[in-house]
Amino acid sequence: MEDLVETLTRGNTAEVKVLLASIALALGVYQLTVIAVGYGRLRVPFLAPPPALAAHRAVGDTIALLLLCTGIMCLSVYGFEDERAVHAYAGTALLSVLALKVIVVRRDFGLGRFLPLLGGTVFALLALTWATSAGEFLA
Amino acid sequence: MSRQLLGSLLAAAVIVVVVVVVVTAKFGSTSAAERESLETRQEQRLEAEEERREDAEDRREDER
Repeated sequence: MEDLVETLTRGNTAEVKVLLASIALALGVYQLTVIAVGYGRLRVPFLAPPPALAAHRAVGDTIALLLLCTGIMCLSVYGFEDERAVHAYAGTALLSVLALKVIVVRRDFGLGRFLPLLGGTVFALLALTWATSAGEFLA
Repeated sequence: MSRQLLGSLLAAAVIVVVVVVVVTAKFGSTSAAERESLETRQEQRLEAEEERREDAEDRREDER
């Protein structure tokens, strides 16, 4: 797996990982704005709640894919490093909470009212994971 | 509805493009390809310098 990642990224694993994580974080900020419109907390003349919710779902799927790819790359090349424990735990928690959110979105299980909390947690964990790796890399 | 949805997705695509441009610009010469070419150039420069030094030494020895 490590060889595949190295080949796909042409030896620039860290750079590609930072880029994907940064895109995910920027889209995460956009998601917060879009869902605020979707829930009617933010009213803008050019976007109604139904298309905002649809866009939130589509962009969310993209973010989930980006984070999955980043997580696989990170684990296969770097593994769990002791000196990057916060990043490793935050990343693991991020993917776990994201998986839970996707399940709740698709199946509900009566947990739909917790979606804003789950979304906020996903964003907070994404910001922490980014800050403890990509943020340091770009600083 | 579909026009608004399309606009929202377009805005997301613009964000992606902006992030790609900003982050890759920040990487600068840290990419593996650029690092490699920089190392190759440095090696070539060192080799050329060494050759020049050896030639100069040979010339000095011939003069003696």
